[in-house]
Amino acid sequence: MNLALRTRRMLEQALDAYQDSPRAIGWLRRHLDRFSDPLRLAVVGAKQTGKSTMVSAIAGQELAGDGDGMRWFRVAPSRSQGELTLIDTPAIDADAAPGTVEGICMEADAVLFLVRHPENADLGFLHTLQDHPIARASAVNSVVVLSRADELGAGRVDALISARQIARRYRREPELQGLCQDVVPVAGLLASAGRTLRPDEFEALVDLARVPRAELEPYLMSTDRFLSQDAGKRALLLERFGMFGVRLAVTLIRRGAQTQPALAAQLIPRSGLAELRDTIDQYFTERQAVLKARSALLGLEVVLRMEPHPAAAALAGELERTLASAHEFRELRLLADLRTGRVALSPELNAEAVRLVGGNGAGIAERLGSDGADIERTIFDAMQRWRSLAETAGFSTGERRAAAVVLRSCEAMAAGAL
Amino acid sequence: MDPRRFLFVTAQGTLLPVMAPPWLEVLDDTVRACAAHRRPDLVERLSARRSRLLDPKLRMVVIGESGQGKSQLINALLNAPVCAVGDDRTTVVPAVIEHAETPTATVVTGGRLAIEGAARTPIAVEAVTTEANREARSVTGVPVVRTEIGLPRALLAGGLAIVDTPAVAALETVEEMSADAVLMATDATTDLSASELRLLEQVARLCPTIIVALTKIDLVPGWRGVAERLRARLAEDGLLATVLPVSATLRLAAARTGDKSLNEESGFGELIRFLHKDLLGQADLLARRSVAVLTGLTVESLVGPLQEEFAETQQSENDETVARWHNEGRRLERLQRDAARWQTLLSDEVADLLSDVEFDLRDRTRRILVEVDDYFDAADPARAWPEFEDWLRENLTVVAETNSEWLLDRFEWVARKMGRQVSPHRPDAVPETLPREVPTDAVGELKMPRVEKFGVGQKLFVGMRGSYSGLLMFGLATTIAGLPLINPISLGAGAAFGAKSVFEERGNRLKRRQATAKNAAHRYVDDFFLTYGKHSKDTARQIHRALRDRLTGVADELRGEITESAKTLKRIIDTDAAQRNARAHEIRRAIEELALLQQRAQSVGGVRARPALRGLTA
Repeated sequence: MNLALRTRRMLEQALDAYQDSPRAIGWLRRHLDRFSDPLRLAVVGAKQTGKSTMVSAIAGQELAGDGDGMRWFRVAPSRSQGELTLIDTPAIDADAAPGTVEGICMEADAVLFLVRHPENADLGFLHTLQDHPIARASAVNSVVVLSRADELGAGRVDALISARQIARRYRREPELQGLCQDVVPVAGLLASAGRTLRPDEFEALVDLARVPRAELEPYLMSTDRFLSQDAGKRALLLERFGMFGVRLAVTLIRRGAQTQPALAAQLIPRSGLAELRDTIDQYFTERQAVLKARSALLGLEVVLRMEPHPAAAALAGELERTLASAHEFRELRLLADLRTGRVALSPELNAEAVRLVGGNGAGIAERLGSDGADIERTIFDAMQRWRSLAETAGFSTGERRAAAVVLRSCEAMAAGAL
Repeated sequence: MDPRRFLFVTAQGTLLPVMAPPWLEVLDDTVRACAAHRRPDLVERLSARRSRLLDPKLRMVVIGESGQGKSQLINALLNAPVCAVGDDRTTVVPAVIEHAETPTATVVTGGRLAIEGAARTPIAVEAVTTEANREARSVTGVPVVRTEIGLPRALLAGGLAIVDTPAVAALETVEEMSADAVLMATDATTDLSASELRLLEQVARLCPTIIVALTKIDLVPGWRGVAERLRARLAEDGLLATVLPVSATLRLAAARTGDKSLNEESGFGELIRFLHKDLLGQADLLARRSVAVLTGLTVESLVGPLQEEFAETQQSENDETVARWHNEGRRLERLQRDAARWQTLLSDEVADLLSDVEFDLRDRTRRILVEVDDYFDAADPARAWPEFEDWLRENLTVVAETNSEWLLDRFEWVARKMGRQVSPHRPDAVPETLPREVPTDAVGELKMPRVEKFGVGQKLFVGMRGSYSGLLMFGLATTIAGLPLINPISLGAGAAFGAKSVFEERGNRLKRRQATAKNAAHRYVDDFFLTYGKHSKDTARQIHRALRDRLTGVADELRGEITESAKTLKRIIDTDAAQRNARAHEIRRAIEELALLQQRAQSVGGVRARPALRGLTA
């Protein structure tokens, strides 16, 4: 029986056990309902990290409104995927409202943690997020986003390249390894502008691009210079694109992105949003069932801890057993480690391991990479190979442990548990 | 004249002392104060700072959080790519940039061991920081301390040295380099963060001259608002810092094209003018400010412990001694109150005791007398006297012994009781036992009472007298019958009467003897009672007196002890209070002196008065 089914059954058992407590019933019912809802992804960060911009960028529409509390949006970030519930959260600073962090921890299934610069960021929230015993056992629900990646490269046209280098280094920092699954750079302003490019904006950009390069260049050197002509219109452009975005868009149009969709299609990958969406897909959407189960287990644990009940004693044991043995969490951790290079296997082995633990899709066919007739044979071969790898003397502890997780996935497939 | 050059070299080559600048005096006084308060660590630090201040070179340390464009700021300022720049964490080791006729650069490395000392490696100017950073990052290489770069620049020729710092070591570098001024880089894309503000506050405590360069203004349309907010924020926190918005990108572009107006736009023109006018032109002011801050800091760190110590002197530390002193006073009072009470108590006890003892004695002797009477109702004193005498003597001795024993027992008990009353903590206050001697003379000689003997002659005489009357009575009667006066009948009657007379006489005499013996015994016992009673009472009185004297002595001794102890305690308390007062006075004077020093420093520095030192009364 897989994790999601087990979790659902445990929630139902808990409902039976807590029939005399309306509060617990309400709580459990909410979690049971939530189980069938889309994944909840919270966008979290300090002041001025571009949370709302990021939400707009992921949603692909300008989401108006500015509120104090959490704002919820149901969106479909790309055609290939199902729906997501995006949560725009209040800034978490020293002066944030007291319940904010706990609220986010309880409500969100997964978290995008936005930082401007990883060096100066306060990682306290990520620590809080993983502070719960269950969460610690399965730190699989957060990704750090360098949300103003264009500024890391001082707004140069190639800014995102150096931002990627920074991200690569940070995802291997020991401190971040245990806290998040990946570090992704995104030029948030550019991404949201690219996703929601308006015809009038495109026109304005095309007008700019028409001005000869030598003539325009001095005006693109600084915002002051840029705004010295045609201030009203250009101010709007700056607000939406930023100096980096305007420079990049003009360059792209000159290089041939002559239509609005063409420009948008060029802007989005250059903003890093495409990578972010892939990351969301890989780590969150595809593993929705596991992440929802994780949230539900956290919720169940709260009830069992706050209102101990004799009828639920067996349930507590079951919860512990489930958490200790849930292979799904381990698969998620390994997947993140393999993709970020925290575990270094040879490229072929890495690819195979990613595939076997469900990196290309959680179904058996995707895992095996073939829908051929002789599935059992293939599984058996994989099991043998990975068992021997798990015992290879030349491997480091991390590599052997990774091989053991892959082996366990193969065994689960053989047993038909997936 | 540079006020720091207070030694004037004359044409003859001799040194003429010139008036030392006032800040130097203040600084020297501060050093002396540190020495007086036994703070060699501060003395050492201040002396290092002193020599740096006397050095005409101005050190400006560039700080800022990671990625705020510190190195780029320096490059733009000097129009030369001297500091390695990059988007990621770039600067790892400090770089010191000074004036030189031709560009020079060295990497200064420290030995692995302190004893190895520093080594210098000359290297090309453009590559030096990159090289140094690379070496510093490598684990195996020699530890890099800093890079030193010399450049021919007008700005530097004026005596300015610029120090680039790694983000993580900003504060340490400011302190280590004895910065005369600090240039903080913060980028305009966001408002000043809490951690940056904290850094500024910490830096301000070490170096009062701060310039905040708001970098990357070319990227941000609203940088003027950011700058306004930044100025307001700094003013709100009481930080005296000049905010200058700059853009290194524009400055470097201007340098490439030689565009003067672009250079002005970059804000660097303003920055360089500021450095010339307000830093290099105001070296004396900077030194004064530095000294003011330095002295303020030092005074604070000196005053802190002093104030603590003062507070300590104010609250009496030996509460325990005072409490003990009060306790002794109370004990003395109680002792005096108790003295009268226990005297009465003792008299009462002794009176009870005496009456009990007398009753006992009377009771015992009475019982002996009863027995004596019983005895002599039957016994014949003439025959039983010696035996009776022994018995009586023995019994009376027993009475005397028992009674006296009991008396002493009771006295011992009373003594113990009183001892406990008078001084519970001194078991030796009264003797454990009393001398036990039974008065032997109380049982005197018992003389045999005079008993008439009923001898043979007397018997014969009494018999004759009885037989005579019998003989005569029956002889006369029988003469009537014609018998001679002396006839067998009268002779027989005479014999019978004689015998009866003798018998009766013997009984009477016994009764008389018994009564005499009883009398004698009664008198004897009375004597005993009198003699022994007197003796016993005397003993009791003596013991009573001795006990009273003894207890009074103990009480006196106790009183003496308590008084002595109280006196000692009082002396300790007085001495201590005097010492405390002296110390408090000393501290107050020291604090006043330090406050004066601080005031002088403030007036020299021309900085706005810091809140005055907390008064001692506050």
